[in-house]
Amino acid sequence: MEIDMDPDMDVIHNLHFSRHTTPSSDDDYGCNWNHWSPLVNWDAFTGSHDDFHNLIDSIVSDGPAEYPSPDDHAASNSPSASITEQDDEDEETAAADDSKGLRLVHLLMAAAEALTGTTKSRELARVILVRLKDLVSHASHGSNMERLAAYFTDALRGLLEGAGGAHNHSKHHYNITYGSHHPRDDHHHHHQNDTLAAFQLLQDMSPYIKFGHFTANQAILEAVVHERRVHIVDYDIMEGVQWASLMQALASDKTGPPGPHLRITALSRTGTGRRSIATVQETGRRLTAFAASLGQPFTFHQCRLDPDETFKPSSLKLVRGEALVLNCMLNLPHLSYRAPDSIASFLSGAKELKPRLVTLVEEEVGSSVGGFVGRFMDSLHHYSAVFDSLEAGFPMQGRARALVERVFLGPRIVGSLARVYRTGEEVEERGSWGEWLGAAGLRGVPMSFANHCQAKLLLGLFNDGYRVEELGPNKLVLDWKSRRLLSASLWTSSSSSSDSH
Amino acid sequence: MERMFPPKKPSTMNSHDRPMCVQGDSGLVLTTDPKPRLRWTVELHERFVDAVAQLGGPDKATPKTIMRVMGVKGLTLYHLKSHLQKFRLGKQPHKDFNEHSIKEGMRASALELQRNIGSSSAMIGRNMNEMQMEVQRRLHEQLEVQKNLQLRIEAQGKYMQSILEKAYHTLAGENMGTGMKGMGGGQGSSSDMGVMKEFCSLNYPSFQDLNLYGGGENLEGFMASNTESVFEGKKRICSYSGSGKSPLIWSDDLRLQDLGTTSSCISPEEEDPFKGDHNKVQISAPSMDSDPMSEIYDTKPLMVHGESVGNNSHKKFEGSMKLEKPSPQRSPLQPERNNSPMINATSMAQVN
Repeated sequence: MEIDMDPDMDVIHNLHFSRHTTPSSDDDYGCNWNHWSPLVNWDAFTGSHDDFHNLIDSIVSDGPAEYPSPDDHAASNSPSASITEQDDEDEETAAADDSKGLRLVHLLMAAAEALTGTTKSRELARVILVRLKDLVSHASHGSNMERLAAYFTDALRGLLEGAGGAHNHSKHHYNITYGSHHPRDDHHHHHQNDTLAAFQLLQDMSPYIKFGHFTANQAILEAVVHERRVHIVDYDIMEGVQWASLMQALASDKTGPPGPHLRITALSRTGTGRRSIATVQETGRRLTAFAASLGQPFTFHQCRLDPDETFKPSSLKLVRGEALVLNCMLNLPHLSYRAPDSIASFLSGAKELKPRLVTLVEEEVGSSVGGFVGRFMDSLHHYSAVFDSLEAGFPMQGRARALVERVFLGPRIVGSLARVYRTGEEVEERGSWGEWLGAAGLRGVPMSFANHCQAKLLLGLFNDGYRVEELGPNKLVLDWKSRRLLSASLWTSSSSSSDSH
Repeated sequence: MERMFPPKKPSTMNSHDRPMCVQGDSGLVLTTDPKPRLRWTVELHERFVDAVAQLGGPDKATPKTIMRVMGVKGLTLYHLKSHLQKFRLGKQPHKDFNEHSIKEGMRASALELQRNIGSSSAMIGRNMNEMQMEVQRRLHEQLEVQKNLQLRIEAQGKYMQSILEKAYHTLAGENMGTGMKGMGGGQGSSSDMGVMKEFCSLNYPSFQDLNLYGGGENLEGFMASNTESVFEGKKRICSYSGSGKSPLIWSDDLRLQDLGTTSSCISPEEEDPFKGDHNKVQISAPSMDSDPMSEIYDTKPLMVHGESVGNNSHKKFEGSMKLEKPSPQRSPLQPERNNSPMINATSMAQVN
């Protein structure tokens, strides 16, 4: 079930182009590219790079492709033929969409390839990106592919402009993605409302958020049963939504011995310009109030990270006899550009602190072969699946989806690509954080039947197409169709021993 | 009540809490109590719901006809009568309605899980009796999980509510100070601000008593006098911030209006007192169009200030309990099953 990440043309055909889209208002494909070509000396750019050359040729010539056409997109087999005719509008629209989608993918891939090359090819990348900019749009009336391509184009443009520096800040990403849309001083304030709305939407439209939260919470509940004190250290608490249901579960068991005292330590960052709905303190207040309403004994702490976001276990306040849990949510809607070092420092804490449980939720990426381009295409495939999953559930709600895409998915795309680009080889070696934990000596905690059951039931609440996959005894994965989206895994330190009381 | 089942628990059936259950050859699970009571398993209930749907709903169906349609041996009129009654009651729109809808939403997956229990690897090497007990145990566990999941989702929903309230208050509070003049430029951004205003009224009953107006000296007096009628709205609102697929019932009688940037809360039956306050209430019509939230949460725009967008005349209940349009598309395999009880529910809500 692994997606073949061969950067050949095959991978492009695996992208699911949705047919539930309205025709884009931009209908000039097929004409402008040729208009461009005389101005550019392609040989100067593409010299020795044969595949690339062919690719550009095929795009420029706008004729039938030299590579095998996709079988499952039969309608798009002859793009040039269907372009000019206007007979069956519906079918043609779908075919046109598909063919346009393919074209966009080709362009994106070409741009990505160009970016990894020499200065000359960077110039080519610039050209391609300008062209792409004309073809794509963030707006809700466009197709999924157009919007997806818009965000990827933004990301690539950012990389091109040398924005892929060592310390990318969210604000910069904002400028790239939103610059043309929100040239206001107080756009941070606007974004707060948007963020909240988008967050709510994302929760309701898709199981991304709940899957991670509920799986982690169930595991925590199982791990701390009979404990008097529970201490959870949350890497990125955001608004603290995850803990609402945990508190409910802890407080609701009225039979038997009283539930444990819950303590949550939230890591806070000193950086500014972060898109956040609430400060950590606000979250703490809210959680405290919520716990009170449930009658759940609760205390909240904050632990400031160093300016470089490194976590130092020693800065934690620990209490004797408490069961320690480290909670690390790295998936949507959490910000994707947490420096890997920061995450590593947090997870390293697991080795030192010997927690009862480490809950890790991260995005599943395909195999990382093929260098930047391979990762780029994988990312494209990934987010295409995400966009599709949202659309499949809510085909009529383009604006709502566009909002979620703009607030969460876009920045995430930009951020993760920047990271891939910057770190290059490093990222390939690391693989997933789960693997990292395994390599660091932690052992997996088996996922219980109840947890698996809960996940399946949860998915039943959403539209068809989502699946739960058990990828190892300690890992559940949320799939959309055949694409793995995110995984929840459980770990504990090999010699974990709770301070007995 | 256990909330957790350790993975490697030995499968002993502790029967001190539950009556022993046997599976008759009709496939029914009957207790071995002196007074044999039927256990309505998920599967059986599923068949029941199907039969009822076939017969045109819980009102049209009678125990006799249901029995005939279901064709389950050993099922008596008595069983069906009481179950049907409960089923009918369960369709009433009240506070637990959203729990029910979550259950309905989970039905298909619950069924599938149940079917798979028998073939799980835990069954290998066990004799019939052990297998049966294991199945029962798993089934029970699954039901626990289902129940807990509902509660957890609701808890999360309530928590989100508190976030929205805070954000809403902040928004309203800030903008009250700045007044409305500076907000003419809100037009371009109204597509974003508009989201928030739509947002607040949607899910959560407590918003009904917020009822804020811009420039509101009259606020307190107004709020006090209208709290009663506003609270009526609560009954109709189901605050389940769950999925897109399972029937979400959003109240769209109450909706916040944008006063430039301040939002206000208006309910249809309070239109009259508002008319006098029209200098306080403004409409930002363009933001309607560009509002992403309304797509999902299906609110009806409410226009005061002399204009009417035609929806004000809606009956009190009409809008509030409808099957939301943006329910995500499911494959044709199971939709009727899941949706038909809901449709019946809405019609009953209106009767109510």
